[in-house]
Amino acid sequence: MFRFLKLLGKNLAQGPSTDPFPAKEAHTPERFRGRVVVNPEQCVGCRICHHMCAGGAIRIEDNEEKTGYNFTVWHNTCALCGMCRHYCPTKAITLSTDWHNAHTQEDKYDWAAHYSIPYLACAGCGAHIRMLPPQLAARLYAHSPVDMTDLLKLCPSCRQLAAARREEISNDTHEQE
Amino acid sequence: MNLFSDIVVRSPWLYRINAGSCNGCDVELATTACIPRYDVERLGCRYCGSPRHADIVLITGPLTLRVRDKVLRVWQEIPEPKVTVAVGICPISGGVFRGGHSIEGPIDRYIPVDVNVPGCPPRPQSIMEGVLLAKKIWLDRLNGIAPGHKEERHVSLP
Amino acid sequence: MSDIFSLISQSATGLFHLVVFPGGLFALLFGLVLKGIDRKVEARLQRRVGPPLLQPFYDLVKLASKETIIPETANKTLFMYAPLLGFTGMAVCLALLPVPGVYYGMENMGDMLVFFYLLPLPAIALMVAGSSSSSPFGALGFSREMTLMFAYEVPLLLVILAVAMQVGGEGSAEFSLRKIIEYQREHGSFGFTLSMLPAFVAYLLYLPGTMGVPPFDVAEAETEILEGPLLEYSGGLLAFFQLTSAMKLVIALGFGVVMFFPGTVAGGPLVNIVWFAAKCLLLMLVALTLCKAATARMRIEQALSFYLKYPATLALVSVVLAWVSL
Ligand code: SF4
Ligand code: SF4
Ligand code: SF4
Repeated sequence: MFRFLKLLGKNLAQGPSTDPFPAKEAHTPERFRGRVVVNPEQCVGCRICHHMCAGGAIRIEDNEEKTGYNFTVWHNTCALCGMCRHYCPTKAITLSTDWHNAHTQEDKYDWAAHYSIPYLACAGCGAHIRMLPPQLAARLYAHSPVDMTDLLKLCPSCRQLAAARREEISNDTHEQE
Repeated sequence: MNLFSDIVVRSPWLYRINAGSCNGCDVELATTACIPRYDVERLGCRYCGSPRHADIVLITGPLTLRVRDKVLRVWQEIPEPKVTVAVGICPISGGVFRGGHSIEGPIDRYIPVDVNVPGCPPRPQSIMEGVLLAKKIWLDRLNGIAPGHKEERHVSLP
Repeated sequence: MSDIFSLISQSATGLFHLVVFPGGLFALLFGLVLKGIDRKVEARLQRRVGPPLLQPFYDLVKLASKETIIPETANKTLFMYAPLLGFTGMAVCLALLPVPGVYYGMENMGDMLVFFYLLPLPAIALMVAGSSSSSPFGALGFSREMTLMFAYEVPLLLVILAVAMQVGGEGSAEFSLRKIIEYQREHGSFGFTLSMLPAFVAYLLYLPGTMGVPPFDVAEAETEILEGPLLEYSGGLLAFFQLTSAMKLVIALGFGVVMFFPGTVAGGPLVNIVWFAAKCLLLMLVALTLCKAATARMRIEQALSFYLKYPATLALVSVVLAWVSL
């Protein structure tokens, strides 16, 4: 019956187990899911994250001049679920461990991350395309027999043409033999 | 006067309003009070049971149609000056419930919110940061820096 | 002429006792500090840091700065005066509280039965408050407070009776606090007297009930009935309830000290005040803080049967022992 006294005594002896948080930085686990960050270098604009997002926090829109796209994550409706990170094919979107999220009402609609990611002109026809990021290309075509450096600067239709042309040339050489 | 308001803000009493939340945020709120690791009481806070005793209101949930009028009524019962904190993404934007047929939120359509603490749910430390921010706003309001929302007190119903 | 002088000086000392010591200022400060210590120690017992020591003062200042709302459907007069009822009751009661070695209560007035009548006043104020606020939770709190009061007043009366009979001897009873202190000075404190020990334990158990702390905070249960009678109070009026509660704390503890440990130490009045305060503090830590930190709320009928079973029986044992030992 008096076990609780023992417990209270132990508590008293051990001292408070409170984090000194507001005075000091709190401990954050390594895998903590905090605010979403995007690496614009890696994003290819496939919109999978937008499709997966439970809270509808991600918006991907072409800019007015159609020279690139604007990538917006509004933290105020992000559920920190990590689905975007899970499904992003290029691992461009991740969750940081930053949880310092309290802000005043004035900042409500500014509490977002904006990225503008440029398109590049296709080396063939000049259409605006999002180029495959070099790191990704290196990984994807590591074992490709074809040299991709020039091909990657082309838009899909120009690339098709280029491929067809390449076929032609190789056929020609084949016939000559 | 300044000393007076300095002392006043050392005793922020908290009051929770659940505007149809999934309970995730409410659990985190309870955590701040009940778990020694966070211990919100050391900031002078106390969760009180009555809206009449509250200084800082913590609203969770996306404001569903069913609770809307009750939430607004309870909110109006709270004596001035009060500071309103929206906890979780639900009251701020509707969160994962956004666009649902029974969702009346975001809550700032009806209630002047002062502080937003996004997260689903926000971690307890984040909520405590929100409370500290609310305390600052309260202090400013007492010192007459930011206008209180006494005039906006009538809440518009559609 | 001399009559007038003595009257004036009497009322002047009376006023002093009411406003400065032991009532009024001293009791308010002491009560609030006690509450601060209580909260701090409770937090430590639960491995928390706890609020600053002066938190009760901050709370009061805060409440004074807030808007006071009076519900439209409430009975306004009763609603406004209910907090004052408890406050004045406690203020008067404090003027009669002896501080052994310093002050022995007013002449012809420092009587245990007066305490028995005045001590429930804050509870009655709460009941008036609850029923006048026109809130269903207030009404619920009213009925709970009433039930609880009946529960804890029984052991209190028996404790008082036991002490009075022990002092009176010869089958008679002596209710004057002055006499009780004198008797204990000669025969040793009741807290160390075997026949009075059950009564002391009963008083220890009475304390959490009358102060409305867990496990007997049924009437002001904030999680069940939204603080019941206090639900509708805000701002300054709520501050009055807090002040009342702080003063009641001093009275309830001081009364216990006077009944069971009125011993004094050598030295001036200042030393004795400190000694008295230290005893009050110890009593509070044992009876209230430990209890608060370790228990959860009872249901109202559990509290009722608890009080009528254990503390009442214990006090009754003391009454019988006091009666037999004559
Ligand atoms: S974490 Fe979830 S809610 Fe947030 S942006 Fe990614 S998918 Fe959307
Ligand atoms: S962040 Fe990832 S998933 Fe989203 S558009 Fe960019 S590449 Fe696609
Ligand atoms: S923000 Fe997330 S955890 Fe909080 S109430 Fe809404 S859905 Fe639940």
